[in-house]
Amino acid sequence: MTVDFEFRKQVMDYHIGSDLIKYCYQCSRCADNCPVTKVTTDFYTTTGYNPRSNILNALLGYKDAIFNADPLTIWGCTVCDTCDEVCPQNIELTEVFTFLKNQSIANGKGPDFIFSQARAIFESGKAIPPSKTGKDPIERRREQLGIPLVMQPDVSEFQTLLKNIGADKKLK
Amino acid sequence: MTEYKMFEGCTIGNRIPFIEAASRKVFDKVGIETSQTNFSCCPDPTGMKSFDNDAWLAIGARNLCLAEAEGKDIISLCNGCTNTLRGVQHQLKHDSWKMDKVNKELAKIGKEYKGTIDIKHFVDVLSDNLDKVKGAITKPLDGLKVAVHPGCHYMRPAEWMESDDPMRPTTLKKLVEASGATVVDYGEEVLCCGSAVTNAYEEHGFANLKIKMDAIKKSGADVIVVNCPACYQQFDTRQRDLGKTYETEYDTPVMYITELYALAMGFTPDDIGLKFHRVRLKPVLEKLGL
Repeated sequence: MTVDFEFRKQVMDYHIGSDLIKYCYQCSRCADNCPVTKVTTDFYTTTGYNPRSNILNALLGYKDAIFNADPLTIWGCTVCDTCDEVCPQNIELTEVFTFLKNQSIANGKGPDFIFSQARAIFESGKAIPPSKTGKDPIERRREQLGIPLVMQPDVSEFQTLLKNIGADKKLK
Repeated sequence: MTEYKMFEGCTIGNRIPFIEAASRKVFDKVGIETSQTNFSCCPDPTGMKSFDNDAWLAIGARNLCLAEAEGKDIISLCNGCTNTLRGVQHQLKHDSWKMDKVNKELAKIGKEYKGTIDIKHFVDVLSDNLDKVKGAITKPLDGLKVAVHPGCHYMRPAEWMESDDPMRPTTLKKLVEASGATVVDYGEEVLCCGSAVTNAYEEHGFANLKIKMDAIKKSGADVIVVNCPACYQQFDTRQRDLGKTYETEYDTPVMYITELYALAMGFTPDDIGLKFHRVRLKPVLEKLGL
């Protein structure tokens, strides 16, 4: 297993204002309380989604064990933030997992719904855009329900933001 | 009373606007004033944040700038939007390097993030006005048995969500009790609905949803009450497929807390578009004599 020191440093730096991740002692409270671990793993298997292993591999700089493994390793996380609350060392696990997901996306790998949502936001400013042709059925429904139409954002504004950040290059 | 900027979010605004209709009616009764502005997607704390945290920060900060420009706090109808906007605020306030970077980008579109406003989940605003809520209830929902699902992003991470308790929240429970309905315990109140993992791995999402739904069914609840559109969609649109997958019938109706309140405040099911729900609400309405 190769240790990637640059990756290791990035993981350490990701934690806002602390180096708490160093103090993980692999107690496994995160995995014990993870709803996805519960439905993908049993006591005798080492496959499935496991937040504890992710923290260990990230901490040690074992990049391949994270990015060249079953995509479930990263994308099994359902972002429920339960691990963050049960961790006795106050490690913000979900934030570290966000970093792992971002790295995976930068390499063009990730579930379709993440790419399609990013594309929708880039094009319309909304994760769920109103339809472009004719009178949108939702707009009609809003009128029927007696509520005002949704105000639309200035698309050029955040397209400028996203292009300057370089996020547009990651779109599929 | 203070006026809030309404953040209805993409899912409610463009998919399930009947929830916004019920919420606006309840806000009127309670005296919560709102106005609109050109918000974009918050953006999604499970989608866009996973795509690119820097982009998520910048778009979120732009939204905060719009409310700051009017000096008004945001009221959000959605757990995800609240979590993103509060999370963006948290990252920017605790990381000056990120703050400088985001403001450099915002300057190019003529904006600056200062961190002067607050973001409120509507459940907390209702809870702060509980006396007015109780005063507006004219038809108490006596006898209705409710399973509450506050949803992960309403209360976690505690560091920036600041609800009453990240693992044993009581706010939604207290709001439901104020309507006259009875809250039934089912033991899996804080279990995630699994919306995000279902989008990527349906079989794992369904295995999780089954644990949740089995507990709710066993409790004998008439209805699941939620305060998040992603959780609402997960329960309302996926119960049928869950039933097909596991060859069991799952048909517990799902309601937003504001829909429940709208009925208790005297609005009719037609006033708030309850017919647009996937899981039929007939048993609930019959029990309430509506």
